[in-house]
Amino acid sequence: MISGLVQILLFQGLGELVTHFLLPLIPGPVIGLILLLGFLALRRSVNASLDEVASTFSQHFGLLFVPAAVGVVMFWPHLKAHALAIAAALVASVVLTIAVTALVLKALSPGSLE
Amino acid sequence: MTGQLAPEFPNIYEIWVYLSGSPLLALILTLGAYQIGVIVYGRANRYPLANPVLIAIVLVAATITLIGMPYPKYFEGAQFVHFLLGTATVSLAVPIYKGLSAMRGRIAPLLAALVAGGLTSIASAVGIARMLGADSTIVGGFVAKSVTAPIAMGIAERIGVSPTLTAVFAVSTGILGAVLARFVLDAVRSREWWQRGFAIGVAAHGLGTSRAFSVNAEAGAYSSLAMGLHGVLGAVLIPLGARLLGL
Repeated sequence: MISGLVQILLFQGLGELVTHFLLPLIPGPVIGLILLLGFLALRRSVNASLDEVASTFSQHFGLLFVPAAVGVVMFWPHLKAHALAIAAALVASVVLTIAVTALVLKALSPGSLE
Repeated sequence: MTGQLAPEFPNIYEIWVYLSGSPLLALILTLGAYQIGVIVYGRANRYPLANPVLIAIVLVAATITLIGMPYPKYFEGAQFVHFLLGTATVSLAVPIYKGLSAMRGRIAPLLAALVAGGLTSIASAVGIARMLGADSTIVGGFVAKSVTAPIAMGIAERIGVSPTLTAVFAVSTGILGAVLARFVLDAVRSREWWQRGFAIGVAAHGLGTSRAFSVNAEAGAYSSLAMGLHGVLGAVLIPLGARLLGL
């Protein structure tokens, strides 16, 4: 478990360095993700410790959003004047995005003949 | 201590002062609320409206309002949880890597769906908000909202719109997507887990990915792939598009 966490933190740090010095537009963790992916592709395997840490994180990914999202909830009253327009735009947009993405995938996938 | 008034709680005020001065209270609050969310979600058979993250957010927001804890004070303690968001993002490389061999033959449909979904997200949100009379500051906040929050804020800065508003819309979109995805996907009769997962990831980034992982591992892997691709492509293409359209 610990060695997996160390690997992930190292790649996170590497990502932060790349962001800071080379690619300021893309956040460090995303670069870290891409670098770790490249590393795994080169090694052609995932060691057990890394796998364990990664599956723990992905199971509870949502927990990590809570502190930031609470701030968002506290911010909403400031948007009162436009609440209706904003809520309508957010809901309709997310519904349409999910629907369009799923329909395009269904239409373009060879296996899905209906 | 004379022990006249509740001797077992000699000085509860001092305990409060001590606890609120350390990160402990915010951490207990955050993890405890999430734990309650997970239990309710399990009891409700993973019904989307019982989303554990949504429950935790509501519980924490209600509690800190009730006890009069200002948000910056709460965040000071909860920042340790928040920090791990970056670490968890890096660790998404593992499920993506494991799903990679299955993705090989699907690259073209995935990319086409990502572009179609990304454009739909921007066009529909901006269009509807404008139609309903929202001002240009607010409309600007919608441009990057389907991209995961940290990248969305970077894009917002580049195209000159409010990063705070963008983050608020991005997180709200994530919650809405996690809650609504199942109903929408059932309505358009999307049946394959990989397609369902990818659609959630394009529309609702990290919060959608969290929901996808809780339902099915394959859906989770595709959702994290969608989130990563959308983030990287969005970071490059949205500022470019904004410049071409003269926004």
